[in-house]
Amino acid sequence: MKESCFHCGDDIIGKAYQAGPKQFCCNGCKNVYLLLSENGLDSFYEMEPGAGTRPSTSNFHKYDFLDVPEIQERFIGFEDDNSIHVTFFLPTIHCSSCIFLLENITKVDPRIYSCHTNFTKKEATIIFDKNTLMLSELAILLDRIGYAPNFEERSDVRGGINKLFLYKLGVAGFAFGSIMLWSFPEYLGIEGTDPEIRRFTSYLSLLISIPVFLFSANEYYRSAFKALRYRSINIDVPITFGIFALYSQSTYTILTGSGPGYMDSFAGFIFFLLIGKWFQNKTYQNLSFERDRESYFPIAVIRKKDEQEEIVEIDKLNIEDVILLRNDEIIPCDSFLQSSSAQIDYSFVTGESLSKEIFKGDLVFAGGKIIGQRTEFRVKNTPKRSRLNELWDSSSIELDGDSQQDQDNISLYFVIIVLVLALGTGIAWLFIDPSLIVHTVVSVLIVACPCALALSRPFTFGNTLRKLGRSGLYLKNIEVIQRMNNITDIVFDKTGTLTKGGYENVSYKGDVLTSRQITQIMIITRSSTHPLSRGILNYLAKGNLLEKFEMEDYCEVPGKGIQAKIDGDFVMIGARGFVNSTSETIVEISSYVKIAGVTIGKFSFQSELRNGVSDLINRLMQTKMIHILSGDNTKDLDLLREEIPSLKELHFNQSPTDKLAYIKNLQSQGRHVMMIGDGLNDVEALVASNVGIAVSDDVFQFTPSSDAILEANGLHRLDSFFGVSYHAKTVLKICVWFSIVYNFVGLFFAVSGMLTPLIAAILMPISSITIVVISTLFVLSKRL
Amino acid sequence: MGIIYLMLIVSLIIALFFLGSFFWAAKNGQYDDDYGPSVRILFDDENTDKKNNKQVDGNTKV
Repeated sequence: MKESCFHCGDDIIGKAYQAGPKQFCCNGCKNVYLLLSENGLDSFYEMEPGAGTRPSTSNFHKYDFLDVPEIQERFIGFEDDNSIHVTFFLPTIHCSSCIFLLENITKVDPRIYSCHTNFTKKEATIIFDKNTLMLSELAILLDRIGYAPNFEERSDVRGGINKLFLYKLGVAGFAFGSIMLWSFPEYLGIEGTDPEIRRFTSYLSLLISIPVFLFSANEYYRSAFKALRYRSINIDVPITFGIFALYSQSTYTILTGSGPGYMDSFAGFIFFLLIGKWFQNKTYQNLSFERDRESYFPIAVIRKKDEQEEIVEIDKLNIEDVILLRNDEIIPCDSFLQSSSAQIDYSFVTGESLSKEIFKGDLVFAGGKIIGQRTEFRVKNTPKRSRLNELWDSSSIELDGDSQQDQDNISLYFVIIVLVLALGTGIAWLFIDPSLIVHTVVSVLIVACPCALALSRPFTFGNTLRKLGRSGLYLKNIEVIQRMNNITDIVFDKTGTLTKGGYENVSYKGDVLTSRQITQIMIITRSSTHPLSRGILNYLAKGNLLEKFEMEDYCEVPGKGIQAKIDGDFVMIGARGFVNSTSETIVEISSYVKIAGVTIGKFSFQSELRNGVSDLINRLMQTKMIHILSGDNTKDLDLLREEIPSLKELHFNQSPTDKLAYIKNLQSQGRHVMMIGDGLNDVEALVASNVGIAVSDDVFQFTPSSDAILEANGLHRLDSFFGVSYHAKTVLKICVWFSIVYNFVGLFFAVSGMLTPLIAAILMPISSITIVVISTLFVLSKRL
Repeated sequence: MGIIYLMLIVSLIIALFFLGSFFWAAKNGQYDDDYGPSVRILFDDENTDKKNNKQVDGNTKV
């Protein structure tokens, strides 16, 4: 009888929140629904049921910094006397309903004049009345309906397809089509036409191929030139070679009137090359692979100066400044605690899920998150010199050379072979007919141009990239596929990677609960949105009826627990310190229950392996070494030992530096390491590994810097992802063989001096098209 | 055969016209978002208060 939330579609745990006949999983969802239905936006739910995003329950003071003029300037695009145009990045935009809701936000708040969304960039451009609506209020409104703006600095890489590239593609396509049209008499072998017309079309072709030569293809020259300057050869060198040979030969024959040239082949070649490039670059624009630690940090904090509170940008903080942080805010720099005590959640830094209590004068490190009330800190280091930053900088990103190596080796051989062939042909024709030397040598260079070779890689890997993306593995670029094929070792980070993030596996220890007590606990936990409360509620909800009791004086102490008076008894649930229990120290997450002054027991939360993980590891172990590094303490060691007895390399209590060192050590032994991790605490290790995969439950929300992003529910298919990448390598080999065969056929014509424009016009596009078809069909036919 | 020259020029002009429109479309941002417009067109127009609904053209430069 599982019901799902009318707003966000999640399963409803325990008793639902009601609004008329509709049911919701939490108060937040219900409020969003009420807000929407009051303003006549019910059709939001008609498009995609359960399309909403659950709003966060965090405080709304966090947008105060938006009212500081210097910070505002960064987001405001245009401002006049009455209105402001502002563009926000809203990462939770994910479906058509989102667009509908955001563009109709004008109905929710009439002070907003218009909202235009860009789905690909996940941006909303909003125009609003600046005299009545503050920028921070706007941000809060968006947050309330589930679209919390994200203020990280973003590079332009994300900004859709490069426009210059589109122009290049357009020019090449235009020239290709037009020249083909004018070359029809040649294709059909119509001889009798007026030679004047032929000359006219040749000159026209020459004219419109100039922008293709100078503009559309220029990035290939640039890349080839760069490679040659560093005394190396990449695939663009033979391409540039071929382009120059083809173009100069065609220009020469047209200008001397000795033939129509190969301008159609030339323009077509550039057009196909650019399409291949577009295919290869059309990766996941809406995922961020470059997000580093700092993008999670606040932009501004409250500084206390001369008993005045002011909001300042993080960059402007000085040592010894006193800063104020509120619940859920992240400490931006190493500092000392000024208040008497505080709870710090270090899960960002260490992966340790238990929060830590610190006292006045203690040093806290950047990256910790405050739980509880407002806390004062004294800055020890400016954000630029924090410990985490040092860690970050020390893990220098080494570009491993093997990615492009294979392809470059092929290019090198290719260039040598072509040059030798051209030379041989030239010498041979010196004896046969010296007048044809130039023609044959140039023909060899034209035909040998590695069209198909250059296309096979982007298309094969581009298709593979797309195929993996559909199954939940998003790769940063096509180089990652090649590196995946060399992997010998897989390192898992346990926290949250192999185990589920939720609190579903609950057990109870202590006095046997009476049905009255169960009801009391259920009533109190139902009022809280904390994951532990929901876990307890879900655990108790199995087979227990909920009776009606009166609840009074409900109070939630953030980071500690909840308390209320229910049916005359005072009920407290929470951390050990909160209920003042005096049981033995334990290293696990638990909530203690105290009813009417007596601690009766505790609920413990064990982590649970994700579905299919133990099978996956057993399968992977047949071909690869598996290592497990965990930042957590040993509380889950037994669980893993039990599930996967053959596992040898288990390391617990690993700090981020340990993980990094472990991977470096493996690499120094010549191993190729894939690191699979989640949180920011793994980032150094993810970057250092040959292939770093970030596992995330919500790929659009939380993704640290990595080579690939994997949806958590796709983890158990990791071995089949390896299968796909091996398959891609095979397909690439087939394509390369095909293009070699084509080149040989073409070379036969060229060397024998029989290459006519007709043969070139047929051979070159056909070879390109077959490569595109083969790579697409073979990759897509592989079953995952 | 003089007509052939005219036709060739005309074909070139037509092709140039389409190239120009492609450039215009790309410059105008029509290739920036390849999903949104397909959805937007399906939204029902509702009778809304004109005062509250100062609809601004989506392509307005910001």
